Order: sequence, then structure tokens, then C-alpha cells
Amino acid sequence: MTAVRKIFSSRQMVTVVWIIGLVVAWEIAASVVQHTKRTPEYVLPHIYQIIDSVFSRDLVNGSQTATQVVLTNAAVTLVRAGIGFVIGSVIGFALALLMHMFLPVEKIAFPYLMIIQMIPILGMAPIILAITRDIDKSRIVIAAILTFYPVATNTLAGFKAVEKEKLDLMYSIAAKKKDVYKKLLIPSSVPYFFTGLKISAPMAITASILVDTLQGGGGLGCMLSQSLKHAMSIYVFWQIVFFSAIVGILSFYLMSLIENWCHPIRK
Amino acid sequence: MLWTKKAEKEYGKDPASDTDEFSAGIVIENLSVQFPDKNGGEPVEALQNINLEIKPGEFVSLVGPSGCGKTTLLRTIADLQQPTSGTISIGGLTPREVRLQQKFGIVFQNPVLYEWRTVRRNVCMPMEIMGIPKPERTRRVTQMLELVGLYNFGKKHPHELSGGMQQRVGIARALALRPKILLMDEPFSALDEFTKEKLHLDLQEIWSKTRKTIIFVTHSIQEAVFLSDKVVVLSPHPGRVSAVVEINLPRPRGLEIKNTVEFNALVSKVRKSFEGV
Repeated sequence: MTAVRKIFSSRQMVTVVWIIGLVVAWEIAASVVQHTKRTPEYVLPHIYQIIDSVFSRDLVNGSQTATQVVLTNAAVTLVRAGIGFVIGSVIGFALALLMHMFLPVEKIAFPYLMIIQMIPILGMAPIILAITRDIDKSRIVIAAILTFYPVATNTLAGFKAVEKEKLDLMYSIAAKKKDVYKKLLIPSSVPYFFTGLKISAPMAITASILVDTLQGGGGLGCMLSQSLKHAMSIYVFWQIVFFSAIVGILSFYLMSLIENWCHPIRK
Repeated sequence: MLWTKKAEKEYGKDPASDTDEFSAGIVIENLSVQFPDKNGGEPVEALQNINLEIKPGEFVSLVGPSGCGKTTLLRTIADLQQPTSGTISIGGLTPREVRLQQKFGIVFQNPVLYEWRTVRRNVCMPMEIMGIPKPERTRRVTQMLELVGLYNFGKKHPHELSGGMQQRVGIARALALRPKILLMDEPFSALDEFTKEKLHLDLQEIWSKTRKTIIFVTHSIQEAVFLSDKVVVLSPHPGRVSAVVEINLPRPRGLEIKNTVEFNALVSKVRKSFEGV
């Protein structure tokens, strides 16, 4: 009896219950849609239909199956998102370091960084595209812009969260500024840095998908809007929806994994 | 590593050798510390006109209720706080000069350990900053961990240790620098009674082996009397020295000394010295 109760109260069980609940709700809605709409697969297909399409060998655009279409376009988008994410993280960290080292930099830079963050990606993307004139570069730039802000603010918060006594200790042994950063501030900001990465990783992916829709040059977002127009490829649309969601979530867990690997001791 | 002539050329004088003639006596004259009031009112007087003399190698406790400025006094000696007026002379040098020569060892109320470093690397950290060569660092870490009884815990991380053990790591770290002056700010106040008594005996032994000047801040009169050569009683509002009580109990002191008439007479003498609490 207690064993059963233990299973039901475990964390995995909560996740399982959530997934079952979502699937049931989806299927109920899909059944309703099936009987009321003329083209139900455009509104809400059954989950088994989507899964079916993943393994289907029917060609949707003359040369590729639905899954192949999704994967080739995903590669285009995710590689750019990844590059932008790495660049954004490096810039974000460097900026946090600069803002912490020189107070005027923080005072001057911080408000404007916030403004950049407040512009919606939809408004910013065409501007970036007009400047770079290249959809690939735009993807990278947008992903980097979305990444650097959470990384910079979180890392800066990490620098500021260092206990005063730890700084006093460094001061009392006449530590050089370089050593204070190397041995105290940077190591203790690592968990905060990763918090920033975890926030921005899914955002970088979303942003790159969004940039895709601006031009017909391929990528997940481009396919997403094109596939809606053809009955043949409607399941490409649904696959991309699920694929993006899963990749977004996985990107978060990937960051947690890297964090545990490089910083095993937590507070 | 043997400190050969070649090594001396490369790294300077053997930091392990205690040939340094520096005398860590402290003379405090007319010291006042004021904190500016944040709302623009009258500045708060944390310490007023402190005069105090501490001999080299002496174990001195600063006792008093909260707000009496005992921590401020310790921080001012350590150059972590600047005096408003008056002077502190440590062996003829200013606190700043002594700090820059890395002659202070500080132990805080919290152990202030680096969670991501092992116990050994925690003890090692200040020596890395001071540029002490690695073989010497390793030697000293081993020596200090043996001294505080944590030799078998060197590879553990701080969160795997109890509060008392963590505090001992902090003490080992401070001692590894071979400081001339050990400043301790309520180091045992967060510990349980049993751990505390054990550490009292340990600290007494460490002090008698190394003969450093120790300034020990505490709010426990018993603790101060048990450990010290001299108890400085501070009173609040404004912080001032209301008495200096010499403790002439024989050393080494065991825990049983706490039951003696002499010990309790000194405790009540210290207690009676407080003013305006």
C-alpha cells in the first residue's frame, strides 16, 4: 500500500499524470472537431494521425517525406539559433563583467539594454533583415540579441549576490582585482549564468523560427507557414509544432545537464 | 620543497620561515568611528575615544552586547573600516600597511567557505593569491588540516561537513597564511555548546603552539574569560571601553576550570563592568 502511495507521490508520476491529462484533453477536442468541421486536420488532428505521419513514406513535396522536410529545415534553423545563442552568451557574460567592473558602464548601458529587450522580435526582425540583407545572418543576430540580455542580467545578479564576508576575506589578504574575479566572483556567478542560459535557450530557438517566416528561404518557420497552404503537407505543420516544442524543452534540459557537468557542487 | 638559494631567488624569502622580526603589538589611541546617518541626520557614533594596548602574542577578547561596536573595532584594526579620528599602530605600521603585507588572518562568524572548492583547496585559496609556490602550499594545507583535526576530510566539499567542521576549515585557512595577527569575529557563536567547548580547547592549543596575537570578538563572557589573557569590555551608545580585565588563570586551561571560584569571580567581574546596558 505504501509502495503504491510512494509511486503516486513521486515526481515522475506527476509528469506522467500531466502528459496523460493533456493527451486525453487533446483527443476529446480532436473527436469533437472531427465530427463538426469539414477539414478537421487543419484544426486539430488526432495525435495518432500526427505520429502516423512521422513514419509515413509518402512524399509531400516531390522528393521528401514529411519527416525529412522537418528535419532538413530544422537543421537550417537550429544551427543558426545555436550560433546566435553562443555568441549572445559570450557577449552577455562579457557585458556583465564590464558592468560589474565599471559602475559607469552599468549606469549608461543598462537602461538601453532593457529597451532593446522591450522591442518585440516581430518588429525587430525586419529591421535586422534589412540591415544584414541575409536571412541566415538575421537568424543569428536575432538569436544573439534575445540571448545576451537574460545572460547579462543574471550573471550581473550573480556577481552582486556574492556575500560581503567573502569579499572582505579577499580584501583582508590584499587580493588583486584579477584574483577576486578569477577565484571568487566568476565561480560564484556560474549558477546565475546558467539560469540566464536556461531562460534564453528556448527563446533563441523561438526567435529563429520566427525570423524564418520573413523570407521563403527555408527553415522551420518558413515551412510552418507554407505547409498550412497544402492539404498534402498539413502534417508537416503539426510535426513542426511538436518538434519545436520538444526542442525548446530539450534545450532547457541540455543547459541543466551542462551545468551539472561543469559545476557539480551547488549551494 | 627545500628553500634553497635558487628557490629564494625565484620566489623570494621562504614564507614558512618565521624569521620575520615584525612585532604584532597593537596600540590604539583616541580611536573614533562614526557611521553617517542615511537619512541625513546626526552620524551614529559606533566607537568613541578608544584607547587600548595589546601586547605581541596576547590573546585578547572584546566582549559586549550587540551594538557596542566590538565588530567595528575588529574591522577597523583589519582595515575593513576606516576610523573617523584617532590612530591604530600595529608594530609601528598602519592597518593598511599590515593588510597589504598580508599579515592578517580573519575568521568570520560564518565559515565563508567556497562551496565549489574542496576543503584542501579552500585552505589553499589565500595562499594561491599570495603567490606561495605549490609544494609549500600543499605542505601547509596538510599541516593545518592536521592541526584542526580535519586531515581525513581534505577531499570533501564544505556542504558535506558539519557547522563545527566548517568553522575549523575557516580557522585552518586563516592560520595557513602564517598571519601575525589572527582576528576572530564571533567564530563560534553559531555552534552548539559541545562543539564550542571542543573548539575552545583546540584554539587554546593552536594559540599556545603558534603564539599569535589573537583578537577574539564574542558576546559570551564565559568564552572570553576561558580563552583570554585580557578581556576588553565594551559598552554601547556610544561604543566605548568600560573596563579591561586581566585574566591570570593558569594555562593550559581545562574545561573543569569553569567550576572554580577564581573563574567565576572573573566572570562576575566582567559582568559588573558593563555600563548602560
